Amino acid sequence: MVKVVCDSTADVPEDLTKKYDISVVPLNVIFGTETYRDVTDITPDQFYKRLVESKVHPTTSAQSPGYFSELFNKLAKETDEILVITISSKLSATYESAMQAKALVGDICKIEVLDSMQTIGGLGLLVIKAAEAAYGGAKLAQIMDMLNSLLPRSHAYMVFDTLEYLRKGGRIGRAQALLGGLLKVTPVLTLRDGVVTPVQRTRSRVQAIDTLVNLVKSARNIESLIIQHATTPDDLEILAGRLADIYPKEKTYRHTVSPVIGVHVGPHVLAVCFIEGE
Amino acid sequence: MKDANSWNGKDIRDMFAAGSNWMEKSVADINAINVFPVPDGDTGTNMLLTLRSVIEEADRASDTNAGAMTKAMSHGALLGARGNSGVILSQIFRGLARGFDGKSTFNGADWAQAFTQASKTAYEGLSNPVEGTILTVIREAATKAQKVAEKNPDDLIGIIQAAVDEARESVGRTPTLLAALMEAGVVDAGGQGLYILLDGALRFLKGELDDLQYRKPQMVSANITATKTFDMVSSEEEEAYGYCTNFLMEGQNLDPEKIRRKLDGKGQSLVVAGDETAVRVHIHTYDPGGILAYATTLGTLHQIQIQNMDDQHVGFKEMQRQKVLPPEIAVVAVAFGDGMIKVYESLGAVIVKGGQTMNPSVKEILAAVEAVDSQKVILLPNNKNIILTATQIKELTSKEIDVVPTRTLPQGITALLTFNFENSIQENLQAMSEAIKSVKSVEITTAARSTQISGIKIKQGQAIGIIDDSELVAAGDDVNQVLMESLAKAGAESVELITLYYGNNTKQEQADAVAAKIKKDFPDKQIELVNGGQPHYFYIVSLE
Repeated sequence: MVKVVCDSTADVPEDLTKKYDISVVPLNVIFGTETYRDVTDITPDQFYKRLVESKVHPTTSAQSPGYFSELFNKLAKETDEILVITISSKLSATYESAMQAKALVGDICKIEVLDSMQTIGGLGLLVIKAAEAAYGGAKLAQIMDMLNSLLPRSHAYMVFDTLEYLRKGGRIGRAQALLGGLLKVTPVLTLRDGVVTPVQRTRSRVQAIDTLVNLVKSARNIESLIIQHATTPDDLEILAGRLADIYPKEKTYRHTVSPVIGVHVGPHVLAVCFIEGE
Repeated sequence: MKDANSWNGKDIRDMFAAGSNWMEKSVADINAINVFPVPDGDTGTNMLLTLRSVIEEADRASDTNAGAMTKAMSHGALLGARGNSGVILSQIFRGLARGFDGKSTFNGADWAQAFTQASKTAYEGLSNPVEGTILTVIREAATKAQKVAEKNPDDLIGIIQAAVDEARESVGRTPTLLAALMEAGVVDAGGQGLYILLDGALRFLKGELDDLQYRKPQMVSANITATKTFDMVSSEEEEAYGYCTNFLMEGQNLDPEKIRRKLDGKGQSLVVAGDETAVRVHIHTYDPGGILAYATTLGTLHQIQIQNMDDQHVGFKEMQRQKVLPPEIAVVAVAFGDGMIKVYESLGAVIVKGGQTMNPSVKEILAAVEAVDSQKVILLPNNKNIILTATQIKELTSKEIDVVPTRTLPQGITALLTFNFENSIQENLQAMSEAIKSVKSVEITTAARSTQISGIKIKQGQAIGIIDDSELVAAGDDVNQVLMESLAKAGAESVELITLYYGNNTKQEQADAVAAKIKKDFPDKQIELVNGGQPHYFYIVSLE
């Protein structure tokens, strides 16, 4: 069976990583010189509390090639095909790291590394699709074909309270254009070509949630959908309720946004990610 | 003196340990110039953490032969690599290990050969190597080291000295190779880190232990002027920029090289150019007075320009505000009031000044339309009397003009905010026209004469409240009361957001009090108070 590897920003629900035996490689969250492995060493709850209270703004970093190569060596004992799906290479060096590890381990088995050009659920849903296919007996080449067709149809939309975190973390991308406004706005952003890109400015969280709902409404034949939050479960509930008549609630995945992404989006992020049908 | 061939793994370990301690002192400085590939201000931190892991493994290594030691260090780098720069650094150590493979001791030429191998391995490691980065710096330094090694294969210190000198020059050149650096006016952070690491190693070999302990590495600065300032890294660490100091010296027997040496270290971005009779000096310094005092001892000073760069920074931010919408579509809006104009500009609109009492002419609007770069222009007239004027522009220009018929300033702002960056102009026009229906505007101004409208008696000079620039709903002597009454009539109860723009005839304290009162009367609404600075109108209110 193809072994699927993803990074911790994919936010794949834990029951699924267990069920499909997905290996999750943690990125690092760094407060000053203290390093924590994403989710493993610091839970979202602990992290978001510290994010708000800490005077030092945390940074993040990709996992080392060494970590990946050890993982590859371990997995190669159980399988002859490994698939790694990473966060957008425009946002993190994770892809480079995995590529180097691939070169490092040589011919121990077939390894494919895919740059998803996405993160959070936009990446996670792809990982879940790949893991389901692997579980169903698909070979690596087949899964790669499927993913290449899914990539352009995977979307992530996020509501921000402030762009300050994105700015500090240097990942603001094209949303740079939204900085410096004098009115309080609640922007809705997405990832386009792997880069943070503005969709719309709204004047309130309610309007922003409306925008998310409309974006889901205007999508065609949604194949899978995940909703995510950091510290606002009530808003997640509202969003879930509004989406219930567009996509079945029981099939909708839910998850928190991982600390590594939290560093860049802040504690009030709200997101919806989905894969559109063909 | 050490035998030229007797360097071993312990020496490599110690020089890199010294180098990484040396770099640790500059971590914040390196972080601060990190703009590429992602401007996240952590290059220095990532390199340091990677190096720590290298040194930890080196300390653990029991074998002091060069091959075994570099292998252990390479392993440490691999495990500890963080971020982009860390990953490249780990490739560099991998290359060193390859170069020293099988060697127990080494001389200068062996080192140069291993260093070249490190450079090659760094390139091999990347799917898309970019010049103007740490890669360029190590390649150029290695080439130089090889050259010197061919002549003096046993002179390890001389070879590393040449590599360090070349690395410094190479770092200074990085902005000319990489546009992102040129724009920000900085050198490459990873390259800077590598140079400092090597510099620390060299100082250790030369026995400059006091320097290593008590001094701080000299950062290489970019000999270019930033075309675009950048602000990043946590704001609590933000330092003042100092003064950009620029002048021309005239005199006799001036020595530019000597002046440059003298001013070196007195500030950043030093440029000294000229000849015996005229020398131009450019430097970023905290002490322009000291620089000028020195210069007057050598000659006469001309064209003295001293600018506070913090002001320049603010100016840059101001400029950035105006570049909001994508260039293919521009929005030109008619607006008045200093604060109101700022709000519009912050949302990306180009402004034609005017409004109720001073309608702009066709010529003025046309001039603004022609002045923007975009071929497609959306006009927001923001007044019913200007809508027609705006419509006439279509006939007078070759540009594609569309008018969203906004009648009030709040409608215009709502239209601007509705702009969707991913949609076409047609989709945007439709969304904007739709959105302006969802906003109610309330204006509180002064009655120009006594009259009676819709059953309301008005005395000249009284405050009056108007909804959507058409319906007079309240009048009275008390501005606040008229405002509250108008809000109630406009249906403030059923909206979500109330934005209050107060005019230049309203004091901030008054406005604060009114906002507090509105908050009390409508507790579940989001209230925003903005200094609109508009004349004639005490308040312009947007309800949405």
